[in-house]
Amino acid sequence: MPEDRADAVFGALADPMRRRLLATIAQRPATATELAGALPITRQAVAKHLASLTEAGLLVREREGRDVRYRATPAPLSSAASWMAEVGGQWDQRLARLADALAQAPGRSGPRPPR
Amino acid sequence: MTELVQRELKLDIAAEEAWEALTDPGRLSAWLADEVELDPVPGGEARFVLGDQVRSGWVEEICAPDDAPDGSGRLSFWWSCDDAPATRVELELQPLGDGGTLLRIAETRPLELLDLVGVPLPGSSRSGHGPVLMAA
Repeated sequence: MPEDRADAVFGALADPMRRRLLATIAQRPATATELAGALPITRQAVAKHLASLTEAGLLVREREGRDVRYRATPAPLSSAASWMAEVGGQWDQRLARLADALAQAPGRSGPRPPR
Repeated sequence: MTELVQRELKLDIAAEEAWEALTDPGRLSAWLADEVELDPVPGGEARFVLGDQVRSGWVEEICAPDDAPDGSGRLSFWWSCDDAPATRVELELQPLGDGGTLLRIAETRPLELLDLVGVPLPGSSRSGHGPVLMAA
């Protein structure tokens, strides 16, 4: 992979929301509207991240009527980089769920004094 | 390239309290996977359901905050599915001075370097076939 391409790939993956988007799309191709509905960011922000991921060659655009559907392309990544992107995206999602679960648990909201 | 994924999450609860969410199978199934079975002892067997994927695994090390002099907690386990090489997950809780706790996670796939795709998971020798690998 040429160096500038590698920079684009790792630059695109440096952002947690972009990793989360990529992990989501890797599971199932999606449109920007669908992604905005599933994630806590605006459609405009989603579109910006998708442009960055597409520019890095991590996503391809597929026209579908009036919509554009995004599909993940693991091709530009080496095996190690794609594993790290996929697993990193999974942990971002897990830790978000953990934070939610702990915030919702009754009586667990406030900090406790140290032992 | 080191095949390592690391994340950190600051929790507003004490390490002892967070420990339950990391080691109790019922609490783990709220965030780690859809279903979790985990025998919380070294060598204990584990099973994780993630969507339509089932991973088997085993516990390498488990040390509760109550048992550590510095109040930190550590759980490491291995997991794998199908013919993918097993990966090692380490969850660490570090008490912070303000009553909160820092959760650090790290996932590595050291066996990938050995090209051991298809070799049964370390510790899963009870299934009775294939070479047995011991974790370092």
